[in-house]
Amino acid sequence: MKWTPNEVDMFLQAKEYVDTALIPLVPVNFAENIKQSASMKDFTEILTLEIERQFKGRIMLLPQLAYLSSWDEPKRLELAADWARGLKEQGFAHVFYITSDSEWRVNEQGLEGSLIWIPSIPLEHLEEKHKRPMIDDQVRQVLAIFTRKWHD
Amino acid sequence: MSKHRVSRRQFLSYTLTGVGGFMAAGMLMPMVRFAVDPVLKASEGGDYVATKQKVDDLTEEPKRVDFTIKQVDAWYESEETQTAWVYKDDKGEIVALSPVCKHLGCAVAWNTDKSNPNHFFCPCHYGLYTKDGANVPGTPPLAGLDVYEHTTKDGILYLGAVKPHKGA
Ligand code: FES
Repeated sequence: MKWTPNEVDMFLQAKEYVDTALIPLVPVNFAENIKQSASMKDFTEILTLEIERQFKGRIMLLPQLAYLSSWDEPKRLELAADWARGLKEQGFAHVFYITSDSEWRVNEQGLEGSLIWIPSIPLEHLEEKHKRPMIDDQVRQVLAIFTRKWHD
Repeated sequence: MSKHRVSRRQFLSYTLTGVGGFMAAGMLMPMVRFAVDPVLKASEGGDYVATKQKVDDLTEEPKRVDFTIKQVDAWYESEETQTAWVYKDDKGEIVALSPVCKHLGCAVAWNTDKSNPNHFFCPCHYGLYTKDGANVPGTPPLAGLDVYEHTTKDGILYLGAVKPHKGA
């Protein structure tokens, strides 16, 4: 489900079935990586919307969590941890972060939720007909991660 | 002086409410129209969209067929990819099922659960459907998978509106 008024209605009615929260982590960088930063945001958005479409009934896709790349690690970890704690208090049994920012892999254990890291593909360089198989492929990999966690 | 004379203040407040109300209506109307539009569009129906699937290549094994529809909402015109599970039944008739689970809307897939071969399986809460799309009682979904209307032109499969499943 998405964070929209309609789908939140649906969520309220089916809360016990929606046990997984997905938080996209998106870096914003105005320095030399500005283009790459924007491209990551795009990629993360398209990928998470597709994940949401396929797992609508069990996953709540939260709004993107943006932060400045210049933030130091403790500050970033705190941001992520606050969200995960808040969501767990709301009854989500599984909290996943999804990101293309490799900085998060450095201290994965420091996170409250599970990290899904997917290298960003600059979709703006791809032809329309190649985008879909690419995204499908990524979604399949993410599905495997979810199902493993759900079966634990 | 007559009691019915409208004071200057009253006059102003009447007219301003009037104008304000009119302006509000002016703003609301287009918003409502935008909001309703996509729905109206969808129900116009009757339109078939070409897939890339050759009808001759279809077998009795359900196959995933993707196709794209143009979607217009208030802000964007976008292409949305939809999926159907398509096969030929034992009479050779084409069946095209919607992948949207009737429980809470996850995408089902054919034959992905090892303990339930030859079923459509929903990974979210383990909903099951038989090959014809009927829901297996005892699993969360309470209805069968929706069915796409379909037609064939020049050997190519065209898909149309979705209809509710008609029992088994
Ligand atoms: S959404 Fe398919 S079983 Fe719940």
